[in-house]
Amino acid sequence: MILRVAGQRLGDLALVMLGMSFLVFAMIRLVPGDAVAIMLGANTEVTPERMAALRAELGLDQPMLVQYGVWLSNVLTGDLGRSLWTGRPVAAEIAGHVWPTVQLTVVALVLGAGLAVPLGCLMATWRGRWADGLLRIVTVLGLTIPSFWFGILMILTLSILAPEVQALGYVPFSEDPLGNLARLALPALALALPILANLARLVRSAMLDALAQDYIRTARAKGLSERAVVYRHALANALIPFVTSVGIMTGYLLGGAIVVEQVFAIPGLGRLVLGAISERNYPLLQATILVITASFVLINFAVDLLYAAIDPRIRA
Amino acid sequence: MRKAILAAALLAGGWAGGSQAQVLQIAVDGSPAGLDPHLVTAFNSFQVVSGTIYEALTAIDRNLSIVPGLASSWTVSSDGKTYTFQLRSGVRFHSGAEMTAEDVASSIRRVQSPAIGSALASRLAAVDQAVATNPTTVTLTLKEPFAGLLTALAGIAIVPRTLEADKDTLQRAPNGTGPFRFVEWQPNSFIALAKHDGYWQSSRPQLAGVRYSIVPESQTRQAGLGSGQFHMLANIDAATALPLRGRPNVQIQDTLELAYSLIGFNTSKAPFDNPKVRAAINTALNRAEIVQAALFGAGVPGGPLSPALKDWAVDVAEFPCYRPDPARARALLAEAGVSQPITARMIVLPRQDIRDIAQVVQAQLGAIGIRVEIVNQEIGQFVQDWRNSNFDLFASTNAGSIDPDDYFFRAFRTGGSTNVYKYSNPELDRLLDLARTQGNQAERRATYAQVQRMIACEGPAAHIAYAQLFTAHRTTVRGFEILANRSLLSLGQVTIAP
Amino acid sequence: MKRQPLLIGSIVLVSVLVLAAVAAPWIAPYDPMAQSILRRFRPPSAEHWLGTDQFGRDTFSRMLYGARASLTVSVAAVGTALLVGGTLGLLAAFYRGWCDRISMRLMDVLFAFPVMLLAIGVVAILGPTSSSAAVAIAVVYTPIFARLIRAPALVIASSDFVMGARAIGASNARILVHHMLPNLASVILVQTSLLLSAAILVEASLAFLGLGTQPPAPSLGLMLSEGRNVLSFSPWIAVFSGLGIVLLAFGFNLMGDALRDRLDPRLAGHG
Repeated sequence: MILRVAGQRLGDLALVMLGMSFLVFAMIRLVPGDAVAIMLGANTEVTPERMAALRAELGLDQPMLVQYGVWLSNVLTGDLGRSLWTGRPVAAEIAGHVWPTVQLTVVALVLGAGLAVPLGCLMATWRGRWADGLLRIVTVLGLTIPSFWFGILMILTLSILAPEVQALGYVPFSEDPLGNLARLALPALALALPILANLARLVRSAMLDALAQDYIRTARAKGLSERAVVYRHALANALIPFVTSVGIMTGYLLGGAIVVEQVFAIPGLGRLVLGAISERNYPLLQATILVITASFVLINFAVDLLYAAIDPRIRA
Repeated sequence: MRKAILAAALLAGGWAGGSQAQVLQIAVDGSPAGLDPHLVTAFNSFQVVSGTIYEALTAIDRNLSIVPGLASSWTVSSDGKTYTFQLRSGVRFHSGAEMTAEDVASSIRRVQSPAIGSALASRLAAVDQAVATNPTTVTLTLKEPFAGLLTALAGIAIVPRTLEADKDTLQRAPNGTGPFRFVEWQPNSFIALAKHDGYWQSSRPQLAGVRYSIVPESQTRQAGLGSGQFHMLANIDAATALPLRGRPNVQIQDTLELAYSLIGFNTSKAPFDNPKVRAAINTALNRAEIVQAALFGAGVPGGPLSPALKDWAVDVAEFPCYRPDPARARALLAEAGVSQPITARMIVLPRQDIRDIAQVVQAQLGAIGIRVEIVNQEIGQFVQDWRNSNFDLFASTNAGSIDPDDYFFRAFRTGGSTNVYKYSNPELDRLLDLARTQGNQAERRATYAQVQRMIACEGPAAHIAYAQLFTAHRTTVRGFEILANRSLLSLGQVTIAP
Repeated sequence: MKRQPLLIGSIVLVSVLVLAAVAAPWIAPYDPMAQSILRRFRPPSAEHWLGTDQFGRDTFSRMLYGARASLTVSVAAVGTALLVGGTLGLLAAFYRGWCDRISMRLMDVLFAFPVMLLAIGVVAILGPTSSSAAVAIAVVYTPIFARLIRAPALVIASSDFVMGARAIGASNARILVHHMLPNLASVILVQTSLLLSAAILVEASLAFLGLGTQPPAPSLGLMLSEGRNVLSFSPWIAVFSGLGIVLLAFGFNLMGDALRDRLDPRLAGHG
């Protein structure tokens, strides 16, 4: 059963990835004007030879479908092209920027999801009371505070209250593990806030759903304590939609990381993307977007499978 | 001068005696696009390589005078067309090879080579040939006398001769003769340099290395300096520097920058082909207000040359159009007889201070009925439009130079390499050609004074202001000297007190 | 529950904000672009309620115009997304078959991109202006609307009354307009409100990164980005413009949330 679901999803996945790759491929071709001239714009001396060489290197002198075929087969064999300015393989550039982003998103996700469960449970048990209403407004606020603004305010507060604390910038984990984690705290918090708010609301409504179900009434009737009812039974059931949203959250996280990395000077994929845009480094931009999007799709695929595995209704 | 350097070196040596050699942590705002000293043009790249990794035959000191660099001395022939440079001995590249006259000659050829495509080529346009006469002597022969040669050479880094035709290697793996050698570059993260053990100046550098951390957010850089995470924010603008004033353990140095901001006109397009219109715009601009608003008051209104060039610059008070007078500006427009209202498309270099200047200029020109449309562009698009003269007006900045010829000739002479204004004035051409051949400083000065008066009000560019340049560092950093051309040359003598 | 203070409160908040933005030209105390170098960096005072910026421009007036710009971009983008995505979702659910399959796979492709990344990609292609920001946001939200509308539309399309209408020979167009749409209205209303809130945040992020509205035009995200450069000595610019973004996004989100409670019978008991 699960295999059939997996097979079906895998087919969908292949289609989506193919479409996505085409869209990313089309990027350079969608640039109005001569993309090659624009790419070389910031360079000092643009000669017709250089333009022709770059055009050939990017394959822009070939028919469109041939270009796509060549590009796709290169990508499938792991060749993402070369960065326009540094000349380094794009794969190496991405590899050099991937860890800070992964670390930031994972810490933010753990922080957000970890705090969301108790907060959501509290809100569910306080349903209808003023504390629930207040928390609800607070969570909406959490959803709508832009992470970059929150980040800037945190930096401002820190530099006024504790100017000697070194909590900004980035040091690799391998160099200074403690310093690395300390510097991750603020950006992870800024990034985690909307996730925390979103998931807390989700846990709340899933819990309320679950609490209204028959089996909970049975559990109550059996004389189990309210706490046992809430935590053992309702929560277990509420986790299913929670897991699904976590997959969708990674998409938000990857996007949000772009802005937060800029504010906190974290050398991750977001900085790579923004840098590539301002340099008009399309080969780099194209590949980075492809990698981020592909990982987003794959994570959601994995979550889908997980979902099918834990939810009996889907399996059936 | 030699004495002063010696004294500084001794002093620096004295400080170093008591402390362990350390790595200097510098925070910079942007990632360089590449590190080849002959190809890069951005300040981001320049401040990583210039004076640290690379050196040139000559150097420019704090007083903007020419001092010996890798050449210990030189002689000029009486016709001004042959320069003979005597090289220092014992200079080694970071790769270990000894630097010889052949490396110098090949570096000059590399810059001139069309295949390499260096933007510095125009500065060496007068050089006919560079020959290594013997391992320690280089002879440069010129097509015509060129008074700005020694200045131009200060900007030509000496690289190994093996790389004469290679335009890729140095972009990623620099190899020079300077006090620091390149170690590692993590794009968007940091660039690490380490002490060059075989450096020709003994007992230098004092530091174990320099690390440039790339931190785009100015607030983050400021906080990092305040907490001691960074030792130095080098070459920053007033907006970043002024809030740091008075912070504990932070010291700020400043100097008037050689670089200037300007509004350029496309003189091939009506109505900017009309000198009266250009004079009207110059008269409408209130440079003091621009300095206040866009440069936080840290700068001076400027004419065609920086007031820092005391020997050359004409006082702006002598230019009639530098007294802001909207009424007179409107009168000039009326006199010009152009159809009104004038609308203009102004492309803007994507840098915060230039964007700010553009906004003030837009408001000031609006007051005399010129409607300016601001076009904010990415750097690639801007440079392309700028080079193709695809603008009515542009707002930008230029690095400036300590020799007037270096700027005026390529920018304003008919057909000059950066004459994007499409400006052509036979009288100006004559003066610029004349000045190149004038060996007598006083005569040359008089010619350039005439040039400045000619272009200040009716020329193809409205020069706006010379900004104050700042470097903020921890008080523990000793021996650093800020330079008007943004070079971090003095890092070789810097020490960090414990 | 009966009096629904959240719904009323949020509607009042949104109305006040929208009215203020729309009426900006009449109620703003100063010209948002008028510079006055002598009055730069004034802290909040009776004369300038929220202070002035680097060029001596009135922060409050700029915020009113900025909110207007943010709303214009967001409403245009979400409106377009609703029109295109909603129609696609509705038709896909109604006709099923290959139409459904193709359009939904297409939407899946767009949906596969993280929101900010897709928006940034679109702006990278079109160049940084407020209208490309609007296009970017519209592209991002089209698949979201398509999916949001398709699910309930599927349910309604197979409901008894639609079957009944078919049986008595109603045309497809008539069924779509008279039977399906009215039943989807509440979903559309709720989602539009929620997505407007999200769109305001995306617009602000783009402007903040320099990829949206360009100076000197006022926009809340741009003001925040300009304000952060001078944060340490005149924090009011960044603080107030950020607050403006939060208020707008918060109002629409809360309203959508409260509307959902009111209109979605499934959740009615949980308010």
